[in-house]
Amino acid sequence: MKTICLGVGMFIFLMGAALEAKDFAFPEMAGWKQSGEIQTFIPKILYEYINGAADLYFAYDFQELKVAEYQNEKKVSVTVDVYRHRTPLYAFGIYSQERLPEANFLDIGIQGYYEKGFLNFLTGPYYVKISTVNTGAEDREVLVAFAKKMAENLGTKGSFPSILSAFPAEGKQKHSEKFIAINFLGYSFLHSSFTADYELQGKKFKLFVIEGKNKNECRDMIEKYLQTIKGPRKDTTEGRYTLSDPHHGEVGLHWKGRYIWGILNLNEASLRLKYLKLFEDRITKK
Amino acid sequence: MNKKLIGRRDFMKSSLAGFGGLFFLPPLDMKQEVRVVETKGKEKKLVYRTLGKTGLKLPVINMGVMLTDNPNLIRAALDSGILLLDTAHGYMGGRNEEVIGSVIKGRPRDSYYIASKVSLPQDRTKGLFTEGATTEEFLRRLDLSLKRLGIDHVDILHLHGVSRKESVVFEPALKAFEKAKKDGKIRFVGISTHSNEPEVIHAATDSKAYDVILTSYNFKQKHYAEVRNAIARASQAGIGIIGMKAIRGAFQQPPTIKNIKASLKWILQDPNVHTIIPGFTTFEHLETDLSVMEDLILTEPEKLELQKEASILGLYCQGCRQCLGQCPEKLPIPDLMRAYMYTYGYRNLALAQDLIVSLNLPSRVCEDCSSCPVKCSIGFNVSKKIRDVARLKNVPSDFLV
Repeated sequence: MKTICLGVGMFIFLMGAALEAKDFAFPEMAGWKQSGEIQTFIPKILYEYINGAADLYFAYDFQELKVAEYQNEKKVSVTVDVYRHRTPLYAFGIYSQERLPEANFLDIGIQGYYEKGFLNFLTGPYYVKISTVNTGAEDREVLVAFAKKMAENLGTKGSFPSILSAFPAEGKQKHSEKFIAINFLGYSFLHSSFTADYELQGKKFKLFVIEGKNKNECRDMIEKYLQTIKGPRKDTTEGRYTLSDPHHGEVGLHWKGRYIWGILNLNEASLRLKYLKLFEDRITKK
Repeated sequence: MNKKLIGRRDFMKSSLAGFGGLFFLPPLDMKQEVRVVETKGKEKKLVYRTLGKTGLKLPVINMGVMLTDNPNLIRAALDSGILLLDTAHGYMGGRNEEVIGSVIKGRPRDSYYIASKVSLPQDRTKGLFTEGATTEEFLRRLDLSLKRLGIDHVDILHLHGVSRKESVVFEPALKAFEKAKKDGKIRFVGISTHSNEPEVIHAATDSKAYDVILTSYNFKQKHYAEVRNAIARASQAGIGIIGMKAIRGAFQQPPTIKNIKASLKWILQDPNVHTIIPGFTTFEHLETDLSVMEDLILTEPEKLELQKEASILGLYCQGCRQCLGQCPEKLPIPDLMRAYMYTYGYRNLALAQDLIVSLNLPSRVCEDCSSCPVKCSIGFNVSKKIRDVARLKNVPSDFLV
């Protein structure tokens, strides 16, 4: 009797989990046939497909990769890789790490871009990479057609993380926004961060914002940062900090509530102040 | 009723016996050199070994850069005495090489070594190169890598991610290496492998085409003894050996390896491993990795800890694929074990069912054999697990969507 109850309980539990599960189908493409079976790679065997690059995907909570191969009658092949990450934020993170700012950007999913031989795009929790060889002049046309159909099959596309809108527009380099999932600046206590590259008056610098769980977590991060760089001891209160980091030079920071934002690689104090203020205005409006 | 199942205690016993070789290695070669260097006012002990016939003298700890785009972390590594930066054409879509390029810009070219990797289109299930894998494509990718790095040559160029002996001697790649070497774009020819390592290492040794082998090697590999033997043979032939995945996943949460220092020491016990390239993302990790060189000898508590970790029975298939070909019905055992993991690990019945349906299994699965000849490397009762999970194919999919 006990066994039966346990069995039924397990079945109900698994059924509940299954109800939440989502799956997708690879599209039918006119003139193309799927060749071979769809391959699936879970974290343990991702190395077999993308070698050492897998390590970075694990930092972005990679869940599963499905790969489909297509071939047309001229024996030209197209490969579609669909990487599923735990959340849309992590999918954005890995996409942003591999995004080429100079590429040809396309309106597919949340965003996509094309370069000769491949097209990558982001939609929901999926990062999709489509590649081909020998499609010749039709390269772009073929890849875009596959991408559009694939995007349709992957459901709601969602949008970029809303916090990206807090980055000041002046001087921001297009398509340079990133999400660093672990150990920002090389410090484990700073966990994750959003960054963007800037160029103004010939100066190149980087802005970042860390989104904490709450005010206390941000206080903890500031305190640990001060300890690590052996900064002057003082009461850690909300407000502005200029830190002398042995690895990163002068770092301008501002902490308010559950946000810490800052500037790297900018020595000019007045410009640093201007950007910290601009950031503050935009974060406050969030 | 006389089924003989391997109990956990028996498994532990047999495993521990099997792991007896974990530490039976030749004594550390005396051909290593110890130097005390001063960085940022602190004295640090660095241990150097020579990378086979390349003659490159490298600290035993170097840096795999694949995980970071933090230029100051890479700078700190070089300033701490690390000499070799390992990257690949494909890491971060090419940004990884660009970041390294920004760090080495302005540094004397003889103050660091760069190893990169170029891959070619490959059928990953078969491990064989496919259409588009040409000499021209290989050289095009190398040129792009050099441009991103901002240098005119890399010290080591690996053929990336090889898992079959046929691919080791892939003519278009060998031709590309020859031309690149002649044009001064590479100094040494390398090959990297993440799976089926022994076969690849032996083939690379036999081919005489390679100066360096970059291989996965850690104490958690089921086949570490075979990897060790293959490495020894390659090293004897003068090939430089670089180890990777020594702390596979140790910095992930939850970590897959608990004692990082002991794991690094384990691989460096092997005198045929000339250097390793752990990937790190924090300054603290960098210090931890470098501190291993203070004393490379494994302590008794460290040995015990590694032994214990190596013997932990996993709940799911380890993907060693040793079962392939053992089933008389030719069942795709690794795929079925994956379905088992989807069911009980991921609790995703729909996914498990999709997989099972795609396998086109016979109507009766594991019901007709009087005994199962499949010997799982970690002692699973394979037929029992298959019978269990195969039931899903008969559940109406409406229940599972």
